Amino acid sequence: MSEIKASATSKGRVGVRNFGLSYDTLEGPVEAVCGASIHVNPGEFVSIVGPSGCGKSTLLNAVAGFLKPTMGDVTVDDEMVDGPGADRGMVFQQYSLFPWKTVKGNVEFGLKMKHVDKSSRDRAARTLLGLAGLTAFENKYPDSLSGGMKQRVGIVRALATGPKVLLLDEPFGALDAQTRVIMQQILTNMWQRLKISVLFVTHDIDEAIFLSDRVYCMTARPGTIKAEITIPLERPRQQSMMMSSEFLGLRRGLMSLIREESIKAMGGELNDLALDGLSIDLHGQSLADVL
Amino acid sequence: MRREQQVSAEPELAVEPSPTREVEPLTNPPQLLSYARRWLLLNRGGLRAAFVGAISLLLFLLAWHLLTRYRVVFFVRFTNVPSPAAVYESLTRAMHDSKFFMHVMLSCRRILFGFSLAAVIAVPLGLVMGRFKLAHEILFPVTEVLRPIPAIAWVPMAIMLWPTNEQSIIFITFLGSFFPILVNTLHGMSLVDPVLVRASQCLGAREASIFREVYFPASLPHIFTGLTVGMGVAWVSLIAAEMISGQYGIGYFTWEAYSLVQYPDIALGMICIGVLGLASSALIRGLGRVVMPWNRT
Repeated sequence: MSEIKASATSKGRVGVRNFGLSYDTLEGPVEAVCGASIHVNPGEFVSIVGPSGCGKSTLLNAVAGFLKPTMGDVTVDDEMVDGPGADRGMVFQQYSLFPWKTVKGNVEFGLKMKHVDKSSRDRAARTLLGLAGLTAFENKYPDSLSGGMKQRVGIVRALATGPKVLLLDEPFGALDAQTRVIMQQILTNMWQRLKISVLFVTHDIDEAIFLSDRVYCMTARPGTIKAEITIPLERPRQQSMMMSSEFLGLRRGLMSLIREESIKAMGGELNDLALDGLSIDLHGQSLADVL
Repeated sequence: MRREQQVSAEPELAVEPSPTREVEPLTNPPQLLSYARRWLLLNRGGLRAAFVGAISLLLFLLAWHLLTRYRVVFFVRFTNVPSPAAVYESLTRAMHDSKFFMHVMLSCRRILFGFSLAAVIAVPLGLVMGRFKLAHEILFPVTEVLRPIPAIAWVPMAIMLWPTNEQSIIFITFLGSFFPILVNTLHGMSLVDPVLVRASQCLGAREASIFREVYFPASLPHIFTGLTVGMGVAWVSLIAAEMISGQYGIGYFTWEAYSLVQYPDIALGMICIGVLGLASSALIRGLGRVVMPWNRT
């Protein structure tokens, strides 16, 4: 547990300044992200939303250290990010648990890499698994777990090393709606207990508003930051808040921002004519009758 | 109109099932069905397969018996083929013959040496070639050129290379199993999910740990496929080598039986090779299950 408590006192300030990433193709360089600047304050929960392919995952992968920026810089606590490391825990959409390790083995992995002795490792893993309600499954292999359980293991595994920042790349995208709601509550709970900075990438606007202190909205490719929205909803947040006028107002605002970009992103795929087609008057007949 | 009628008919249908049937109690099924009966029910697929398999083997024996009993000549000639009874007789004789066991033991020893050597060299080589591009670029062309050469084609070269017959036979066995193991290990390495590597890096793993904790276990299922295939080819190569240049071994025993016109011993040797091959493959599979408890396929 000492490992985990240590993170509560350390900072975890993420700074991305004028970030750009392009890659070379035969037709010349293609820009995925261009001039995006974001920051996460210590202990803050920040989400990035945007249309698919806007480069929000690229941005997250740069903070994780998997991608080198071709422009600008990425810092964590004023230190330049140079490759992946245990100070930034990552949760992946496809869980990415080690299938050859038990649930407990997966959670202990990071501590093992830190050469933490076996008994401390064991204690830390059990505590975290207890928090996530996984104690009964500690000796199971990931393949025998449901999606929600796998992702709980994924989150707990990323937290076990006591990272300064938790990075989540659409972590609940593959889960059904009911499970997602529960997972959001578990994540919020863990975040509040550990006072850790979180950078959360999602395309689900409700999820972003419900979880975050601040939401960044990205533009279509090449991605930049289009808007930054502070979420004034008080905590602890309840599921019922999602029906409040305040929530719905935020949702409407973000919706229209994203919708514009989604249409841009789809480009020729979905032009104005096609959208007009959606409102063709069928004069009271059902579509099936016309066909 | 038709569609509307259907829609209106559906709610009535939905009311139809009587509630009494749904509430029908499941009175403690574990007590009604005994443990043994449930075991039979759960494993009926496997039992059926075993039963049909046994019948199939018996039919094979029967066909063999009839074909040899009546010395059938129909394109192939069964005139000199030993009958199952004759082979059984020669088996009982062999059971009291220490020479027969010596042949079997020597073949097993050659497999053990040749195959183990191949596994110990091919698996690490495959892992290194899979991880480091330069190693792959240097070694892959050589292995690709040597790989299509059947182990048997190496016999004359092996005899020149190695001072003793025993060594050259082990070398042939080694070559036979080497390439399947290497190729499958390489294949396993190429299929390692890069996201798992990233996950380990995010948890603080460095090169050596990534290799040991991610690449190696992730490739294990394919390594074991390679070992199983390699074991099969090891037997093929061994028997061929023994028939050509051996003095002992079950392959030599089979060939000698032909030279000495002891026809039942030919079939005995063949069956013995089959059983040994089957047993060694089963051994590898069993080992795989122990080493990879997560892999339930």
